Amino acid sequence: MSILAIDTATQVSSVAVASADKLSAELTMQARLTHSETLMPHIEQVLKMASVKKEELEGLAVSIGPGSFTGLRIGLAAAKAMAYALRLPIVGVSTLKALAYHYPVPGVRIVSLLDAQKGNAYVESYEWEQGELVVKQEVTVLPVKEILPACGETGRPTVLLGDVAARRIRGRMELPQNVTVAPPYLVMPRAACVAALGLQELAAGRRDNIMDMEPMYIRRSEAEVLWEKRHPEAAK
Amino acid sequence: MEYEIVIAALFECSGEERFILEKEILTLGIESSCDETSAAVLRGGRTILSNVISTQIPIHQKFGGVVPEIASRKHIVNIMPVIDEAIRQAGVTLQDIDQVAVTYGPGLVGALLVGVSAAKSLAFALDKPLIGVNHLEGHIFANFLSSPELEPPFMALVVSGGHTALVDVRDYHRFHLMGQTRDDAAGEAFDKIARVMGLPYPGGPRIDALAKEGDPLAIDFPRALEEKGNYEFSFSGLKSAVLNYINSEKMKGHELRKADIAASFQHSVVEVLVSKAFAAVKEAGRDTLVLAGGVAANSGLEARLREQAAESGVAFHYPSRILCTDNAAMIACRGYYQAQHGEFSDLYLNAVPGLGLEEK
Repeated sequence: MSILAIDTATQVSSVAVASADKLSAELTMQARLTHSETLMPHIEQVLKMASVKKEELEGLAVSIGPGSFTGLRIGLAAAKAMAYALRLPIVGVSTLKALAYHYPVPGVRIVSLLDAQKGNAYVESYEWEQGELVVKQEVTVLPVKEILPACGETGRPTVLLGDVAARRIRGRMELPQNVTVAPPYLVMPRAACVAALGLQELAAGRRDNIMDMEPMYIRRSEAEVLWEKRHPEAAK
Repeated sequence: MEYEIVIAALFECSGEERFILEKEILTLGIESSCDETSAAVLRGGRTILSNVISTQIPIHQKFGGVVPEIASRKHIVNIMPVIDEAIRQAGVTLQDIDQVAVTYGPGLVGALLVGVSAAKSLAFALDKPLIGVNHLEGHIFANFLSSPELEPPFMALVVSGGHTALVDVRDYHRFHLMGQTRDDAAGEAFDKIARVMGLPYPGGPRIDALAKEGDPLAIDFPRALEEKGNYEFSFSGLKSAVLNYINSEKMKGHELRKADIAASFQHSVVEVLVSKAFAAVKEAGRDTLVLAGGVAANSGLEARLREQAAESGVAFHYPSRILCTDNAAMIACRGYYQAQHGEFSDLYLNAVPGLGLEEK
């Protein structure tokens, strides 16, 4: 069963074709081109690289967030339309959880960090236990400066992943003894991991509905937050 | 691709057969540039099989205007149900669709991207050609759907939330821009003044309704760029004059005569639009004027243009109410004629929020 996986949650554009036991092809790029321009040509290309016809696909996995609102919508709109036209089952997978798939190592605290704007990060932490990725701290939004002290306190060997780790922490903040930042080729979201997680979810029978699927935003729009501040009664 | 085979076949058939084949082409249109998610199926260039519009107006009302992030969030949820409903209502299957046309600008970038991404993916998955459409050209082409007998050449007065322009439509592919707004669009002035008068969003229709109860000559608001041969528009001066008038009335403690303000403001806008539109018709030697864009739904403007057209012996067309709003049928229509002319897009198509009307 070959599926197509898409990750456009950050500045990284990544697409992959994979089956349960094989990553057939992956195209991952960090350049200053927009997802809107590159995503469809990349999908066309990765299918060609994998020698898989789009009609042969049996499922779709899409990185559903949190992340860049616009990036997520570009990936999701493309994934939904493709699922609709090719009648494919689709699953949305957490961008944070897919990141943690880079490190299938037991005994290590894996902390996924994605940019949440204004000096904040979406944070979720995991550990592998008996081949399962277990959530240790549910997704939350934290100021970036609070992350390292919190990781230091656990004393567990810890690896940091995601765009916040790559751009805001590595080389800019002093790491506690127990904490490392993943190397550049592992620190970013990759569609191969989205595919791995998606295959597992599809095999377990989970399906999302293209008619009401939306990104995992976590944060509300600024306009709603402001409106409720100004209308405290109505907000209740 | 199948489409190319159809086109190639067109040149080998007799006139009558060719006519039938052209009529049979099915275009799926997709529109998500602002606060409406819409999908439509068109048969040939003029027959609407479906035109599904999901509006977000009630959602944005409490914010007093369209909130881009909220609009984008609604589009990503609505896009597939709207497309699916358009296919279903048209009584066709997705596989019957010959080509996909989508608005790529102007509009809100995040909103546009939802439609553009979905359209590109559909075109790729179905192996069908993709056509990127300029929303403003779509508004002009809405007239072909409302008035099946309409043929170019004609003069088009485009009046929407973001644009005011006069376009000489020479044929289906060649447009000459006579002039456009230097600053605010007419629609922006309507919305801003409505907001200051405490009227709910969207302000245009409220002012139009209020204007019917007021005296259009009660207050003498200015009209800009009235010199002959100038087809540019400017509404920022008028907007400021109305806002100043409202402020000074409030300062004096006078009760606002909202109906008179609405009527006088609308009169000022309408007179400028009417005089420039008919001057342009005359200069270009046209015998037909069409009205296009969201503000085309303004009854005061439509009535004055109709009156003036009858007086000057000019044929006048304007889209039906539903085709004045942002809708995908007009996008499919524009896309159909672009395809006839070989104007297709590739999978690199991007949203262009600041896209304008250009010389073609």
